[in-house]
Amino acid sequence: MQYVTRESAFHRLHPLTKLIFAVVVVALAVLTSDTVMLAALAGAVVAVAIASGLARDLLRQVPLLISLAVSLLALTIITIRSGEIICYLVPPSVPVIGGAFPVTVGAIDLALAMSLRFAAMLFAFQLLVISTQPRDLVHVMDRLRMPVDYTLMFLIALRFIPSLQLEGKRIHEAQLARAYNPGKGLAGKIRGLFPIIIPLVSNSLGKATVLGLTIDLRGYRSGRRTPMRDLSPSRTDVAGICCMGLLVAGYFAVLLV
Amino acid sequence: MSPEGGRESVLSIERVSYTYPGSGTPALDGIDLAVGKGEIVFVTGPTGAGKTTLCLAASGILHHEYGGMLEGAITILGKDVRDYRSMAEIGRHVGVVFDDADAQLIFTTVEEEVASGLENLGLSREEMQRRLREVMEATGIADLADRAPHTLSGGQKQRVAIAATLALGTEVLVLDEPTAELDAEATGAVSAILRRLSCEGTGVLIIEQKLGELAAIADRMVVVENGAIVSEGSPAQMLHDGILQRPEGGSARRFAPAGITQSEAAPVVSVRGLVHRYDGVMAVGGLDLDVAPGEIVAVVGENGSGKTTLVKHFNGLLRPTEGTVIVDGLDAGSVPIAQLARHVGLVFQNPDTMLFAETVEDEVAFGLKNIDSGDPGEPVDAALREVGLLHRKAAYPRSLSRGERQRLAIACVIAMKPKVIVLDEPTTGLDARESGRVMEILARLRQDGRTIIMVTHDMLLGEEYADRIVRMEQGRIVRDGKTCKEEPCPRLCNTSPGRALFTASTRSPN
Repeated sequence: MQYVTRESAFHRLHPLTKLIFAVVVVALAVLTSDTVMLAALAGAVVAVAIASGLARDLLRQVPLLISLAVSLLALTIITIRSGEIICYLVPPSVPVIGGAFPVTVGAIDLALAMSLRFAAMLFAFQLLVISTQPRDLVHVMDRLRMPVDYTLMFLIALRFIPSLQLEGKRIHEAQLARAYNPGKGLAGKIRGLFPIIIPLVSNSLGKATVLGLTIDLRGYRSGRRTPMRDLSPSRTDVAGICCMGLLVAGYFAVLLV
Repeated sequence: MSPEGGRESVLSIERVSYTYPGSGTPALDGIDLAVGKGEIVFVTGPTGAGKTTLCLAASGILHHEYGGMLEGAITILGKDVRDYRSMAEIGRHVGVVFDDADAQLIFTTVEEEVASGLENLGLSREEMQRRLREVMEATGIADLADRAPHTLSGGQKQRVAIAATLALGTEVLVLDEPTAELDAEATGAVSAILRRLSCEGTGVLIIEQKLGELAAIADRMVVVENGAIVSEGSPAQMLHDGILQRPEGGSARRFAPAGITQSEAAPVVSVRGLVHRYDGVMAVGGLDLDVAPGEIVAVVGENGSGKTTLVKHFNGLLRPTEGTVIVDGLDAGSVPIAQLARHVGLVFQNPDTMLFAETVEDEVAFGLKNIDSGDPGEPVDAALREVGLLHRKAAYPRSLSRGERQRLAIACVIAMKPKVIVLDEPTTGLDARESGRVMEILARLRQDGRTIIMVTHDMLLGEEYADRIVRMEQGRIVRDGKTCKEEPCPRLCNTSPGRALFTASTRSPN
């Protein structure tokens, strides 16, 4: 998940507008457990992505969301019995264990609500990240008087995740070339992680000092920044904020009725 | 030591000694060095001489960020580093380029990276735009503006890190191995910028292992050994006086395997019609190659020419999209990697990619245990003896020096007794003395009948030690022959003078 250079309407919005959008979606998603409302919210975010021509980028998260939804469903079915029973994972006709793990409406509802909530939040967050240059976010956070360290933490995480993936792959290959065999069974698998994790963590820690020094030397703690681009809000931002206002108003109207 | 020609000093180090926390021996020992306004000072010396520590001292980092014992005085623009409140304040006057380019890239695009420092200087928007454009063009990264750091090559990352520092327009520049991964053209561009900056009054302290183009533009050269300055003078004078010497010719051929006529033997590696595509992009396009047992082959070429893609096929890390790769009689396109590992060993460019064990001994035994070759005791000792690390058997691998870690990585591979040993850039990051040691090990291994294939961008290394040089361009072999002397040597050769050495005593007669 990284900034993507493109000419989209969402890209043109002021970073603060986009930040407010992400925060609003997260807040609305947390405030309700109603699956219809959550579906509408996720749908609204997807509609924004489609309107801005960024829908294809969101599609990349779909495999993750599906695997999350399936795991949540399995977990809720096993642990929650609430409401009408739809069927049983083990058919009642099976001797002894027949009728175990009933699938209830409540379990499915909860899994669905959690998956939709996560989808709405992830999509909103992704729209923010792929359409906003990190330094613009730094400026906005700065204006909001947020400590620069938090912004930098967020920035460094975004920057280094792909690098860590590449480094992990390289280390894995280096150990494979030494006939590395991850081992059998859970204990074997855990032991088998050491040859990968230890070089990965040590190499990353080795970078931390240089990274910290670079941040200091570039003046990121000096607190006087001039954004290179003009970051003043435009009419699109006003329209965007109005749309968000309508979304929030509609949401609370439905919630209260 | 004062700046040349009575220049006003912008950086001054007086009688500085430094010992790292927990260390018994000083890393710097009574260093006296000054950089004048507009002066370029070039510091060189073998691995472990204290060059990077000197860079940390000069930029005030030792004082502000490290513990340990620091004696003497360091002055930047007439003000003691202790009087600067923080590194951020020093950063307004001193630009530092560290040797790890990747760790210096904070942002998610190249343009942001270069612009990031500019935005903190309080400049006008027009001035920022102008500087951004100028620096990106001068360092040759204008076409990379929207690229993410993890998609850049080592050389490109280094150029971005240099550009981001140059953009700050500081009065002093401290550069730690800034051109280690740059080719001749990029090094030329960097030296031209530094020369221009020095004319504008910037004081530059360059720390480098290789004596390349940057040494040629220096006003003064300083040689450091064991934490102390051992000689100092103009680069021309020092080369003339023989204080810095070029390496002796290669010794590998002295160790030619007895009784084998390489061209007659059946090839140990045989590649036919190899094609490899990454996501539809051609990395290797229709390649044939035979390597005879006991040969030392250097595979050379620019970044992205397909060298690494080719050699990863030998041990099954990559499988051919088309064509066949036969190694020691096995089809490397289908045999499991673990089985191929008994026949082909691969030493990665950076030994830290693989070191994880608690002791050197365990590290070497790891591969042997993986292939169930019985009691690892004797083979481990033999491999460590071969690379001169038997006495460090109980040491923690990551505490070894860079050269020792490289030799340990080789030991890990040779303990498994593969017939073919593939090395990716075996001497990058090593000084000439360590490079020589590594190459002598390889020469001995070939005497035992092993086949050595090394991927390198260093033509001199290939010329000195290899029987054969295979040159790749855009996924194809464009040349396969003895040495590059037979034809006008490609510009890669221009990087070679960099490998000047500390073979003779570098101490000045005084």
